Amino acid sequence: MTLRRARWRSALALLGLVCALAVGSAAAQERELDPRVFEIGRELRCPTCVSESVGESSAAIAREMRVMIQEQLDQGASRAEVLAFFQERYGDWILQNPPMRGMNLLVWLLPIAAVLVAVVVIARLLRRWRVAAETPVDVDPSDLDRVRAELRSGFGDGADR
Amino acid sequence: MSRDVSQGRSRVRRLLPVVATVTALTALFLFGLLRGSPDRDIPSNFLGRQVPNFDLPVYERYMAEFGPRLTLDEVRGRPMVINFWASWCGPCYEEAPHLQRAFDRYGDEVLFIGIQTQDRDARAAGRAFIERFDLTFPNVFDGDSRTSIAYGLFGVPETFFVHADGTLQFKYAGPVTETILSEQIGALRR
Repeated sequence: MTLRRARWRSALALLGLVCALAVGSAAAQERELDPRVFEIGRELRCPTCVSESVGESSAAIAREMRVMIQEQLDQGASRAEVLAFFQERYGDWILQNPPMRGMNLLVWLLPIAAVLVAVVVIARLLRRWRVAAETPVDVDPSDLDRVRAELRSGFGDGADR
Repeated sequence: MSRDVSQGRSRVRRLLPVVATVTALTALFLFGLLRGSPDRDIPSNFLGRQVPNFDLPVYERYMAEFGPRLTLDEVRGRPMVINFWASWCGPCYEEAPHLQRAFDRYGDEVLFIGIQTQDRDARAAGRAFIERFDLTFPNVFDGDSRTSIAYGLFGVPETFFVHADGTLQFKYAGPVTETILSEQIGALRR
């Protein structure tokens, strides 16, 4: 019974040691990377992830891409050169901020166009309302007399209530 | 009568910006919805360009013919079908028999290469995959996934159809079928 318990304890201790080593080694690997790697990585989309950048993702391919960024920085490559390296292989898709050309222009220009249209529409509406408020209403004199008479006769009743 | 017409025109003019805005936003929404996943819809950036070289370890069963490593630059000169797969990838199991049948049919004229990628430390699983489908065309191991990055892969499986001059004709993302293989290989042989 005691021997069995001792075996279990040893097995658990060994498992804990292996886990600690694995976590420690992964963390050490990440720590060795220059902070610039993560900065540049955040400008690249992870190819196998959904809405994650290379800088943030824990996917194996993103980790390998971070190592590749580090190697290029070590060789003296600039941020633009690193981005161009991945852009050459994946196209504009890989960039978190796509360049302003082709269909990508829509992404940049559509919000600006929407704001401009909204400003023009609001300005025109305000002007129309102001003009409408300032323009005297063309009323038939007989209708006006009738309204005045109605107001005179009904006003007293309303005030008494 | 003319007053009705002018009132109608002014209403149309008033509604026009609203209709235009709603149409533009709907178009943008539909564009986003229909864009789908990147691996399916984005063509390879190597279309019409030379595909990158690679130098990868060959699985044992092909070593007699290809040696311990396969370097693409050394086997260029004829049309190629380069297929990226992984042992954990379900669709790769689906397409493997189609690839083997296409190799049986066109292997004399077209070079087939299988690349196991995005599958770190899984050589044993790779070997089992090859044996399961009895793949007779050469398969190599991209342990650090760098070849998949060099080819701009979004996932597995992806299949590249390469002209004899080394330029990419077409990339297919997803499990490739015999129909697609026949069509694309037919175009490569023309």
